[in-house]
Amino acid sequence: MLWVALISICLVFFMLVLLVGVMKCFGFVFTRRQPAAPAAASSGRVVVQGQVHEEEIAAIATALKIYRSAMHDRESEVLTILSIKRAYSPWNSKIHGLTQLPDRK
Amino acid sequence: MGNLLTASSDFVSESLLRFVESTGIVGFFSQMGWGSVVMLGVACFLMYLAIRHKFEPLLLFTIAFGMLLTNLPGANLYHTELFAGGHVHWDIFVAHAGLLDYLYLGVKLGIYPCLIFVGVGAMTDFGPLIANPKSFLLGAAAQIGIFATFLGAYALGFTPAQAGSIGIIGGADGPTAIYLTSMLSPELLGPIAVAAYSYMALVPVIQPPIMRLLTTEKERKIKMRTLRPVSKLERILFPLVIAIIISLLLPSAAPLIGCLMLGNLMKECGVVDRLSKTVQNELMNIVVIFLGLTVGATATAEAFLNFKTLGILVLGVVAFCMGTAGGLLLAKLMNLFCKEGNKINPLIGSAGVSAVPMAARVSQTEGQKADPSNYLLMHAMGPNVAGVVGSAVAAGILLSFLG
Repeated sequence: MLWVALISICLVFFMLVLLVGVMKCFGFVFTRRQPAAPAAASSGRVVVQGQVHEEEIAAIATALKIYRSAMHDRESEVLTILSIKRAYSPWNSKIHGLTQLPDRK
Repeated sequence: MGNLLTASSDFVSESLLRFVESTGIVGFFSQMGWGSVVMLGVACFLMYLAIRHKFEPLLLFTIAFGMLLTNLPGANLYHTELFAGGHVHWDIFVAHAGLLDYLYLGVKLGIYPCLIFVGVGAMTDFGPLIANPKSFLLGAAAQIGIFATFLGAYALGFTPAQAGSIGIIGGADGPTAIYLTSMLSPELLGPIAVAAYSYMALVPVIQPPIMRLLTTEKERKIKMRTLRPVSKLERILFPLVIAIIISLLLPSAAPLIGCLMLGNLMKECGVVDRLSKTVQNELMNIVVIFLGLTVGATATAEAFLNFKTLGILVLGVVAFCMGTAGGLLLAKLMNLFCKEGNKINPLIGSAGVSAVPMAARVSQTEGQKADPSNYLLMHAMGPNVAGVVGSAVAAGILLSFLG
């Protein structure tokens, strides 16, 4: 049984390492397909790794401004109407408080 | 007239006697009647945990109610003899089957766990795993608990098939555990399902001490690089590629992996939103009800009240702990070969035991305790979903070897 367990765990690792390889290839192909910096490329400027352009900063700032202006104060959403239970008493009884109409036969 | 009265009084007394004997109250005083009382107590306790403490309530609640129904003497909702010897006795099935026997066919034939996997797939985002494929290794390392516990259970006297079913608890994946157990050792289905779901609910309790024990403060503070964005085409190709590769290499895992990837493709392709929403909600909920009730129904007094159950509960928690430790230790080992700035926070290794997304949340919480500005959740989701694939692969391997 020790061999079964060892072979099994090796097989699990083999399968998942194979998937790592496949996904690495995927990543390699897809990251190459994506253009490095389309916005900067179209503007014709040289892109330095890690540098943020003025247009990007302006876009981020505008997005933040729109996002914050769209935010509202959050209400607690708790209704403050409380239901009050009154103990029965003849003094608050509707039946005793209403005038009984006579039975007409 | 006298004869008529005598005859009818005999008939009435016999009928009354038969009626009294058929009631469940008399059943409590028969053989194993005390066991039914204990099992009703266990069912009520599990329901208390589900309702009061919200321990995996969707499944624990239904499992507990199934347990309650099956242990009511005389109700005849479930009959173990119809499934004796690991296969369905079709010759006597229609004549004797109760409601839960019919529903149990979905477990016995491996239908419910696969349908649940379709829903799980539709709810899972494999993006973090695609962005960081190394997470697959952490998902594999967390399966060590399965095989270590398999050996431990075998050493304790369980049969190889039973040991495999007990070990799969360490995968922390309920549907996989139920699927494998229903195929390998259906007689243990009740205790194994209860153990698997109970420990999954206890992930925030079981994992943190192990995580703190096996990592240093400095390691817990490691900040990981932001994951690369994943394109839609990658997300669509991922389920197709995984389903094809795993099904070709390991056909016994094809039902689970195939269904998982079917659900994921429904979500990612974006053209079958109605189907995707249905499998995530309506289908998933319906199957959860049937699965929970029938798995609970297998927990009869005869099957549950023995020392094997106690052993399963102990071995289950051992499997869980070893899986957690396996993921953490491999992450530490991988760090030895990683360049500075590319290091892995070992806390995400523990998320390799499936338990989606609870285990990833635990990694995030523990990471934030060490450094409140550290956000590990998305990084931990990679090993977490890799754990789902890993445990399904492990189940397929066990099924091939022991089935």
